Amino acid sequence: MLDLALTGFVACFLLIGFRRPFLWVLCYLYVDIVSPQIISWGILAHLPISLMAFAAAFLGWVALDDKRDSRFTWRQGILVLLLLYCGFTTWTAVYPAEAVEKWAWVWKALVFAIFLPFTLRTRLRIEAVALVMVLAASALIIDGGLKTAGGGGGYGTLRIFVENNTGLYEGSILSAVAISIIPIILWLVKYGTVFPADWRVYLFAGALIFAASLIPVGTQARTGLVCLGVLCLFYLRTAKHKVLIAGGMALAVMVVVPFLPPAFLARMGTIENHEADQSASTRLGVWKWTWGYVKQHPLGGGFVVNQSSRVEYDTVAKTTVDGSTEIRRTHVVEEGRAFHSSYFEMLGEQGFPGFGLWILLQLTGLLQMEQIRRRWRKRTGPDEAWVAPLAVSLQLAQVVYLIGSLFVGIAFQPFILMLIGLQCGFWSYLKRIDVRLPQASIRPARAAMRTA
Amino acid sequence: MVDILALALSHGLLALAAWRLLMRPDLDVESARGNASSPADTAPAAGGKARASRSRTAPVRREMRWPGADDPREDGDA
Repeated sequence: MLDLALTGFVACFLLIGFRRPFLWVLCYLYVDIVSPQIISWGILAHLPISLMAFAAAFLGWVALDDKRDSRFTWRQGILVLLLLYCGFTTWTAVYPAEAVEKWAWVWKALVFAIFLPFTLRTRLRIEAVALVMVLAASALIIDGGLKTAGGGGGYGTLRIFVENNTGLYEGSILSAVAISIIPIILWLVKYGTVFPADWRVYLFAGALIFAASLIPVGTQARTGLVCLGVLCLFYLRTAKHKVLIAGGMALAVMVVVPFLPPAFLARMGTIENHEADQSASTRLGVWKWTWGYVKQHPLGGGFVVNQSSRVEYDTVAKTTVDGSTEIRRTHVVEEGRAFHSSYFEMLGEQGFPGFGLWILLQLTGLLQMEQIRRRWRKRTGPDEAWVAPLAVSLQLAQVVYLIGSLFVGIAFQPFILMLIGLQCGFWSYLKRIDVRLPQASIRPARAAMRTA
Repeated sequence: MVDILALALSHGLLALAAWRLLMRPDLDVESARGNASSPADTAPAAGGKARASRSRTAPVRREMRWPGADDPREDGDA
């Protein structure tokens, strides 16, 4: 039954694209985020629906869309260079067979991120992409949130739909992505036109944000907790009622902490006391190994070069019984561990050139969104007020991702590359429509600010 | 049961969003910013400047159409 319903949903999505071909782009976003072929075990599992959706989106744009408003932005150029460079490192990879497996999905994610901005010609399309990304991710977030609230979960044991550990179905990745979309949810509530704000929208958005906040609890991913803290901190930077919101956040923490499961609190405690924690020690060891590796191989070792990593360290655990402290030191040797950081993932796999391109892509995104915010924040017209808040939301989402990336290897996570594509399309759209406002429209706004 | 609820809610909203987008002509055709904005935005300032401003904010009436299809602006409710 579920299989039939999912197949019907995807088929309908593809069919309505014949009426409005841009919906194929949205269909691809949905397929790539939810991966219904993973949940389904019947027809969908045997069809290359991701390829079908991308082919429909691309051919629909090539054959039917107007391309006069499409612009190639220089950040798309960085994506192209990154794609070419990743192709080169795959060609020269230390583990060619394994590298090709990762390359097989990385190039698709990069190509879609390059392609997406070309299709974002109207404000509604920009909103539609943000909305579909949030709603598609909400399937996983609602499931994880409900299971966490019902007492399920645990590190590596929160089962979302199926037993799977790829893409957004991996706990740490989902917790970072769930927190990063919170600002976009808030923007959609306030400025969305597909679902204009009413009590149902507030109710759903409130529940979804709560569920997203529960994901780090359910997955017990420390990354998610750090991301949530960073989001709260940065949200205050641009919020209007800073004291009120900060007070609300503090109150929420006080109310929530007594209800958190002891296992979660114990795991979060290891952020501070990392010496006794094997997972944290492994990360530090792998990062050290990566730095040594990239100094010897500045062009990188290609995808999954971490398989050659070898890490040795001692964990130190202190236990105090009746006033006497026992220190237990355990020697651990590990090989082929994951990078546990996007920054070191890029350094090890793509070397300094790839890391440079990637970090440039991220930093320019933050800068562009800041530029948009500053340029548009005083424009209060009904068709302009949405711009600066969206820039802030996309910037916050990226900041959360960059903080989460410190602890998880998600440098090529397709969801984040879609966000970058959305940023590029948003920037390009504004460059096209932006004109200096007539003084007449600025004066009343300034007068109103003076009297307020 | 939780899985079904999560899938039904999210997919129901996705379907509704897709349906509403299908009915919106501004998905493919953007009307002039000046038309939708405040009167102050469209109020003519000095003649030459106003003309320049109008030409730069000119409607972007470019749409995605199948060959021989009806005008999409006529089938929407928005």
